[in-house]
Amino acid sequence: MQPLLKVQALSKSFNLRSGLFSRKRFEVLKDISFCLSQGETLAIIGETGSGKSTLAKLLAGADSADTGQILLDGNIIEDKGIRDQQCRHIRMIFQDSEASLNPGLTIGDMLDDCLQYNTSLDKQTRGEKITATLSKVGLLNDHQHYYPHMFSGGQLQRVALARALILDPKVVVLDEALSSLDPSVRAQTVNLLLKLQQDTGLSYILITHHLSLVRHISDQLVVLDHGEIVEYGKTEDIFQDPQSNVTQKLLSC
Amino acid sequence: MQLLDIRNLTIELRTSDTVIRAVDRVSLSLKEGEVHALVGESGSGKSLIAKAIVGVLNKRWHITADRMHWRGVDLMRLSNEQRRKIVGQDIAMIYQDPSRCLDPTAKIFDQIAETLPAIQSKGFFLKRNRQRKDRVKALIHKVGIKDHEKVLTSYPHELSEGVCQKVMIAMAIARTPKLLIADEPTTALESTTRAQVFRLLKSLNQLKNMSILMISHELEEIVNWSHGMHVLYCGQMVEAGPTAKIFSQPRHPYTQALLKSLPDYEQGLAHKEPFYALKGTIPTLQHLPIGCRLGPRCPQAQKACVVTPALTKHHGHSYACHFPLIKAMK
Repeated sequence: MQPLLKVQALSKSFNLRSGLFSRKRFEVLKDISFCLSQGETLAIIGETGSGKSTLAKLLAGADSADTGQILLDGNIIEDKGIRDQQCRHIRMIFQDSEASLNPGLTIGDMLDDCLQYNTSLDKQTRGEKITATLSKVGLLNDHQHYYPHMFSGGQLQRVALARALILDPKVVVLDEALSSLDPSVRAQTVNLLLKLQQDTGLSYILITHHLSLVRHISDQLVVLDHGEIVEYGKTEDIFQDPQSNVTQKLLSC
Repeated sequence: MQLLDIRNLTIELRTSDTVIRAVDRVSLSLKEGEVHALVGESGSGKSLIAKAIVGVLNKRWHITADRMHWRGVDLMRLSNEQRRKIVGQDIAMIYQDPSRCLDPTAKIFDQIAETLPAIQSKGFFLKRNRQRKDRVKALIHKVGIKDHEKVLTSYPHELSEGVCQKVMIAMAIARTPKLLIADEPTTALESTTRAQVFRLLKSLNQLKNMSILMISHELEEIVNWSHGMHVLYCGQMVEAGPTAKIFSQPRHPYTQALLKSLPDYEQGLAHKEPFYALKGTIPTLQHLPIGCRLGPRCPQAQKACVVTPALTKHHGHSYACHFPLIKAMK
């Protein structure tokens, strides 16, 4: 089967100031490649500073890579840092849903903005689309007149998910989106994510510290260490028999 | 002897039109050398209880309690100065938001040095200075920061959240307190450092006989080494008792839901199978339901649940429910 998302030899480096005029190159990601099929979940684990969040930003298009390609459905969407002008197929959910939503916009306006900037739908279809998306994530139609402060933490996570889903993406990147939630809310959110995956064949890229959650919902696992992939394979295999030192250390505690 | 004994602690916020009861008659007791966990969702009043014990809540909060005894002394009846003296000597707290709780205008070294007890250093002032430096360095190594030179000379905003959290822990254990209140001490840390911090706390508990009140919503972390557990929901204590007992036989529907939402607690859960979760969301403090606050979400709520259930005690395991779960969990 043709993989949905294919990442080839992606690398990224930053320039850091080391002296008055001298600069040091700091390689955050080196030669990252992996594949993701439709309806699958890929988890990325690693220590802090190993480049997980940078990788998430590159995938979602919030930052551009130095070299390497990202292919979606066989089409190149990013090649050596030049991004195809489309952010609708890969969407991202951030860690702090409260801080990532605009407090001055109602939920309806915010979702409408996403559609206005990215599609050419007319006003009525946009309204229908918003209603459909809200009901998909388990919110009511009336919620579109609410402001973010009127929601609880679990509901805000649903709103963030609605914002990601409204453009019918193929891949959703969850950057620590589940780690700040309370256990029962997290259970609800995970259930919702799993249900959406079953119904629509959505793929997830999950970045988290929470290992039991990784084991439960992911199919493939990438272990990052200092910007390099040290282990990549089926989640269950890696959990059963970790090969590299880094993975063993991460999994042992 | 009881180290800390709290009976019917109520914390209220008086607004212009209503009184919001954020913590509703919570009782808690802690023996010397014990590790207790306070579990609950955000907004259930865990941090408020911790801050009420230490006495750092501001005047807007109205605190009442039948008794709040610290080694036989009622903290509520003491004057501010006396209370501060006792709390400063014996109780330390790790706050939730480390980078915001550190002083942004002082370097890390000065902040840690400030918490060191003054009596221990002897000798001439140059020697004292050196002793102080060595103590700070030792503390910072203890919590697992290797690059002490760089960390000690930097300001909080220059450090990552994880390092700030470690600095907070170092400041808390500097005086080797009798009770350490840890308010979500490991949220910003990755799994390896988290294990390291827990090992440190565990060894302090065993070697120095330090009691710990852990506040967390990650059940998995605290199961293995806490003696007692208190489960809070929306400011009400729903279940309390020895950890092993609660885990083997939860009596309250909310505790059961919490335990079932752990991915690897129940072995029977297949890959990608949905978790057990209660319906609905946590009510906000302005719109709390009357009676049992879990009522609207509870799977076995009945008519009697509009009256607040009293705490039933049975072999050291207490629960507040009209219809406790009797069957053992499968």
